[in-house]
Amino acid sequence: MLLQENMGLEEKLKILADAAKYDVACTSSGVDRKGKKGYTGNTISGGICHSFGADGRCISLLKILMTNWCIYDCKYCVNRCSNDVIRTAFTPDEICELTMEFYKRNYIEGLFLSSGVVESADKTMELLYEAIWKLRNIHKFRGYIHVKAIPGADRQLIERVGFLADRMSINLELPTADSLKKLCPGKTREKILLPMRQIQAGITENRNELAIYRSAPRFVPAGQSTQMIVGATPENDYQMVSVAEALYRNYNLKRVFYSAFVPVVPDKSLPAVSGGPPLLREHRLYQADWLLRFYGFRADELLSAERPNFNIFLDPKCDWAVRHLEEFPVEVMTADYGKLLRVPGLGVRSAKRIVMARRTGRLSYGDLKKFGVVLKRAVFFLTCCGKMMIPVRMEENFITSQLMGEERKKVWDMGNENSFRQLSLFEDWKPDAVPEVTDAKKALFGEM
Amino acid sequence: MTVFLCKNGFDGILCGVYDIYASRLPLSDCSLELEREYEPLLFAQYQEVPLEAWKAKKVAEKIKSFMSEESYIYLYRASLHKSPERGNWIFKFIALGLTAGRKVLGMLQNPAVYEIFQMNRYVGNEAHFLVEFLRFERLKSGIYYGKVGPESQVLELVAVHFADRFPDMDWMIYDEKHKAAAFHASTGHWVIRENVEKEAVEKWKGEGNSDVYVNMWKTFFHTIAIEERTNPRCQRTMLPLRYRKYMTEFQ
Repeated sequence: MLLQENMGLEEKLKILADAAKYDVACTSSGVDRKGKKGYTGNTISGGICHSFGADGRCISLLKILMTNWCIYDCKYCVNRCSNDVIRTAFTPDEICELTMEFYKRNYIEGLFLSSGVVESADKTMELLYEAIWKLRNIHKFRGYIHVKAIPGADRQLIERVGFLADRMSINLELPTADSLKKLCPGKTREKILLPMRQIQAGITENRNELAIYRSAPRFVPAGQSTQMIVGATPENDYQMVSVAEALYRNYNLKRVFYSAFVPVVPDKSLPAVSGGPPLLREHRLYQADWLLRFYGFRADELLSAERPNFNIFLDPKCDWAVRHLEEFPVEVMTADYGKLLRVPGLGVRSAKRIVMARRTGRLSYGDLKKFGVVLKRAVFFLTCCGKMMIPVRMEENFITSQLMGEERKKVWDMGNENSFRQLSLFEDWKPDAVPEVTDAKKALFGEM
Repeated sequence: MTVFLCKNGFDGILCGVYDIYASRLPLSDCSLELEREYEPLLFAQYQEVPLEAWKAKKVAEKIKSFMSEESYIYLYRASLHKSPERGNWIFKFIALGLTAGRKVLGMLQNPAVYEIFQMNRYVGNEAHFLVEFLRFERLKSGIYYGKVGPESQVLELVAVHFADRFPDMDWMIYDEKHKAAAFHASTGHWVIRENVEKEAVEKWKGEGNSDVYVNMWKTFFHTIAIEERTNPRCQRTMLPLRYRKYMTEFQ
């Protein structure tokens, strides 16, 4: 490999942004920091997206690698050392310049700095530290900074970076240790989990300190996140969701991101992906992730060892609901908040609105619609003042078939963006119900 | 039916509410319209409401103390909405609030509360969109200039955000739809001016500002998208087309 350093800034940006684009995390949320005279920038806890790329993903941070030079040879990665691409590197000053100039034009919310590993993990981490130190102290930047922790880097270095950054992340990449060994020679699960544990401990300690000294410096205030690749190895959805749940519970992660596997470099140990990246699977995993974080579901409620993968035609919440019809219908006026959250078609916001509004009077289905409840799904699971909106047979097959018609179109759209489909006169987007014997008889005798 | 015609702006509407109560007419026979935007009715009496600061202040105090600070903020933001009926909805909300008290904001099933809630949300969303999608360009003079064209009059909400973010910069935001501009000086002071004509701004701005970072940003924007995941519909949902004509990367 040859490192090309005397290249124009724009060319470097093109190469190093291209190399960074497979990292999913681009959030600028989790920390509120007011602006200050003499400094540039502030942060808002909800985060701000500044643009949306042609793939519909938000662009919030200047997502770049410091260098795409890497000593590792992870099979799925564009920057693996055996891949023949142009290698280049930003100097810390160039990173600062780009961040500040983009920030002042309101293009970005801050910096997402990652890097290939040069020489050693420690050396790389030192370079990252230098860049963000300059950004914070020389350029007086108060915007958002997200930095990758390099697995295997020295404890002290990670700690020093943590006091400058808002969020840190270490990518788990693959959900099991076996897959990791197979695809990432040179990385081990321990090496990844160790800094994750360290950052978690640092955050807890810092929180205790802040409770006593309000102006103490803050350590990774927006928490840490990680990312897993979907579809590069044979793990099923149940394993993925269980790992995510364990990470949320044991490591207090803010987010786990899922990235549908895009084959960039062919390798014999990687699966051949026909029909593009597994976007639907990724979508289902995100839906389940939301259920874990905001809706009080557990991984073993959604899936089990016998049913290890998500239903293609139903979203995880509907899927759970039709298998647990004994819990429904739920009465809007009296059910507690946790129960409401489990109704398909109700989200956090609409459930909160219902709880707020029902204190002052009765609700009708029209009101529910106004609050943002998706009645198309919710009608099967709700009663409002004791009445269902339409007569519903509380039966798994019936409800499933009703729900599927709607979902099927979405699923088809996801796989066949920008293509066309023959319109069918009968059963358009409806499941193909097999006629029963009685139906055949009725048709024969002209009753139907 | 007596229709009260009030001046534009939040204070104007609050004065209208004050005069309705001061007239001692039954509330169900009154409605409040904006002087510049109303549709005349055949069988109605019209009464003009002059703008008097003390009346607006009195109503504002009443809202804050009797309902809540939050209700006041909701009403203020609803008054920035483009709907010509905003005056009347604000009046109805206040009328309801004066009987319901602190719990008025929770009464979402009531049409007045729901309308105010929706207008507030719309205005808040639009302000947030501008915070996201506004683009500054650096002029030769070193001033950062951004142009927007929102439906609601959200310039103030947007300027507050940027005043906090860039306290040491000279910048200006021009709202070409409402012909208003926010000016911020590097000292930290800022003002909003009404009736700023487009031609004047263009003339002041001058032609031919070449900025190397514009091209770099475009490069970054196009590079960061993953080709295998192209999804224009998702992009359109997240980034509505009407904002794109003001954005650097789509020009």
